[in-house]
Amino acid sequence: MSQANLLSPPTQINPPTALALSQKAPLILSHSPTSSLPWPLSLLFSRETPESWTIHENLFYSALRTGDETSARAILERLKARFGEQNERIITLVGVFNEATAKSNAELEKVFEEYEQILREDPTNMSVRKRRVAVLKSLGRTQDAITALTVLLQNSPTDVEAWAEASELYATQGAWGQAIYCAEEVLLMMPNAWSAHAHIATLHYLSTVSNNPPSLSSLALALKHFCRVVELNDSYLRGYYGLKLLTTKLIPLLSDAPQSSNKRGGNAQDDDDVPIPKLATVEKLEELATNKLGEIVRNASARKWMGYDEAEVIAARELLDRGGRIER
Amino acid sequence: MSFLGPILNTLGALFLTHAVYSAHEHTTAFSSSPLPTDITLELLFSIVLLSTGIVISAQPLRPIETAKWAGQLSREGRKPDGQYTREGEAVLSEGDPYAFLGLDGGLGKGEGRKGFWDARGKRKEYEEWVRGKGE
Repeated sequence: MSQANLLSPPTQINPPTALALSQKAPLILSHSPTSSLPWPLSLLFSRETPESWTIHENLFYSALRTGDETSARAILERLKARFGEQNERIITLVGVFNEATAKSNAELEKVFEEYEQILREDPTNMSVRKRRVAVLKSLGRTQDAITALTVLLQNSPTDVEAWAEASELYATQGAWGQAIYCAEEVLLMMPNAWSAHAHIATLHYLSTVSNNPPSLSSLALALKHFCRVVELNDSYLRGYYGLKLLTTKLIPLLSDAPQSSNKRGGNAQDDDDVPIPKLATVEKLEELATNKLGEIVRNASARKWMGYDEAEVIAARELLDRGGRIER
Repeated sequence: MSFLGPILNTLGALFLTHAVYSAHEHTTAFSSSPLPTDITLELLFSIVLLSTGIVISAQPLRPIETAKWAGQLSREGRKPDGQYTREGEAVLSEGDPYAFLGLDGGLGKGEGRKGFWDARGKRKEYEEWVRGKGE
């Protein structure tokens, strides 16, 4: 369930939540966290905590989203007064403000020029580099955004967030090979991230689903990654959903295929040696995914398990209904 | 069960204080004779009570296995843990540590990554929602 919490906002903010978040602005703006007393006293009587500034930043984002520019500007002034205008993060926030208030593409281009100017003075400002990519994406110049992102990644190859962004950008272009490569880089740095495993499995699946017949090795790889998701997180809805979807696809394919290709690591396979799973294994996985999905859907509908997104639960129920065997 | 811990702790603290006080009185009154057994026993008893009370009133342990721990995060979501910041925001329990990757919502959905936040797109989405509601 998405709660309107400014300290740790939900991962999915829909418009009603955004509205609830930005309506907290008057309350937060009414008390300044910094003290107005002269210097030595201000240290003693300050009310600020690290959390206050996280709250301010999140409020800034939601105020911009709901078009509450007065509040956004007030927060920005407060942050500037506290951290100085030369602070990298403040420069980025000013940029975000300009982006959000840009009325047309021409104005957005102007913001882009400002970013170029900032980067000429200080090429190490990574967050401004990221903003540059975001502006290019917003202008619809996805190819340029990808180029800018690859330059960023050459300079900072351990930036997981940027690799994840690159993976999604490539995926929007239908460049599945590159998207999968970027997602694998994310996994290199965060091998336990279940969402990253689910992402890469989705990419493998999408890369082949429009082909007829779909490539068996891609489906097998997707299945492998979804299995890893389930291994890392025993109640991740997306993992079980993918597992169910894939196994229902794989079972007819495997039972139709000649017996020789069902052998593990068959030598007549494609150039990459992905072992094709046995039919019995896939059937077992299908059963497991169905059971677990049913359990999740039941408990989430009964409001016992509150961690799931409603839309995802509805999608899972539809998938189960399509399968035609669910006891609710 | 939640009241058992504090009760044991209070009793234990009382016995401990009493035992220490008695020991002090005894040594000032009869400094040459050894400490009576009942004081020693009371001291040991108070320590047992206190230890049990502290163990009982501890927070529930987190699962050791990654899969169980992650599953618990997924099932329960983030809940207020009873503390509030000065601004009145509830402090939430631990959430998905990989949420910042923005890969949770599927392709092109979700909040995305903070560093690449799509200011105009999110704003447009909100405006459309407001317009849709007004009609």
